[in-house]
Amino acid sequence: MSEANTSETAAVSIRHLSKSFDDVEVLRDVELEVKTGEVVTIIGSSGSGKSTLLRCINWLEKPDRGSIHIAGQRIGVHDDGRPMPVRELAKVRAQTGMVFQGFNLWPHLNVLHNVTEAPIHVQGKSKREAEELATALLEKVGMSQKHDSYPNTLSGGQKQRVAIARALAMQPAVMLFDEPTSALDPELVGEVLAVIKDLSAEGYTMVMVTHEMAFARAVSDQVVFLEKGLIIERADPETFFTTPKTDRVRKFLENHDTPSSA
Amino acid sequence: MNASAWNMLLEGAWTTVWISAVSIAIGVVAGLVIALIRLARIPIIDQLLVLYISVARATPLVTLALFIFLSAPDLGLDLNRSVAGILALTLNTTAFNAEIWRSAFRNFSREQSEAAMAIGMTPWVTFRRIMLPQMVITSLPGLVNEMSFLIKGSPAIAVIGIVDLTRVTNRISAVTYEPLPPILVAGALYMAIIGCLVWLQRLAERRANRLAM
Repeated sequence: MSEANTSETAAVSIRHLSKSFDDVEVLRDVELEVKTGEVVTIIGSSGSGKSTLLRCINWLEKPDRGSIHIAGQRIGVHDDGRPMPVRELAKVRAQTGMVFQGFNLWPHLNVLHNVTEAPIHVQGKSKREAEELATALLEKVGMSQKHDSYPNTLSGGQKQRVAIARALAMQPAVMLFDEPTSALDPELVGEVLAVIKDLSAEGYTMVMVTHEMAFARAVSDQVVFLEKGLIIERADPETFFTTPKTDRVRKFLENHDTPSSA
Repeated sequence: MNASAWNMLLEGAWTTVWISAVSIAIGVVAGLVIALIRLARIPIIDQLLVLYISVARATPLVTLALFIFLSAPDLGLDLNRSVAGILALTLNTTAFNAEIWRSAFRNFSREQSEAAMAIGMTPWVTFRRIMLPQMVITSLPGLVNEMSFLIKGSPAIAVIGIVDLTRVTNRISAVTYEPLPPILVAGALYMAIIGCLVWLQRLAERRANRLAM
């Protein structure tokens, strides 16, 4: 299969991705392929570049070199190096749904309208159609009772579940999770992880940055370990957590409560 | 005070209200446009806007009104008094509003715009649907303050012969030799006008509570 063909079938295809902030190289020649239906977890210590990698996928950060394709479409620049016009960039971005560490709900809109906003004003769906979709998604994340609530009245776990529904409403080719439970009180982590786990069972394509090792082991098809901007290990979760190849990963896993079983 | 005095007062109040309202309406929108242009930091244009803002903020309204009214014929413009008055008030209030909007832009949560961009909104849709509705709510206290300053400063346009709510009290007392009653009524009318604005502000504050996350 040629390279072009591979990028067409993959949900996300990252090639030779490099990025520096000032003179610090945060990503170095990263290659990553996420197949449709696959769950890929990115692990690494803080400052390893994992959030930057995720934010490059939807062009919230502009990489210095390399290419990213979302469902076969290149994001950010054209092949001839021309930067993508904002409208076109927005179209490709709509193929990705991002869930942020800090939820980032829009506080002037109630729960229902946070979810219907993009389907109506980006995709041009009718209000009724968007509300039907939002109702179904809010039910999926267990938030059907809260349609009329405003974000400031919700708990962190509830906010994050709404944020997941909001991202799903665009029916993206891939969901990007940037440490979705890191800002949550420990007792609220479970409800968000349960939603994400359901999504993986339903076959959603997901790329996730997380510190929840047991969870990563349970839901991932592929685990990627990032160290100083380099992918130093990638494997299926079983291999990754039981027989890591590098000392670095072994040490990292010792310092985290390594899950004994999936 | 007789009926004709009351009539004159109401006419003066009307003049103050409509001239101020037109200036406020133009000034709020023009201030937003200037703040938007300044975001782009276009060389020369940005410096010109900064110059305009500093000059307009530093110039007393009376001076500005006189200058516009007296210099218009030299520039070949045939301005009637009302237009000159509106122009003076607008130039003044726009400068202040531009600064209010600019700080609203600066303080807007980057995370929220990122969420909008990430979901596929263009910068324009992000501005219209996500930023502006919240900026209106957060800026309204400042904008309403500026509106009431403008209304209270509007007697300055009497200098070019506009008979506004303050000027009219002079005219009445010139006939009745009783300056206090018309002044008192004028004061009450100013309070009523500004009271409406404050009421608007309170409505906005109730919504602002939601934005405090």
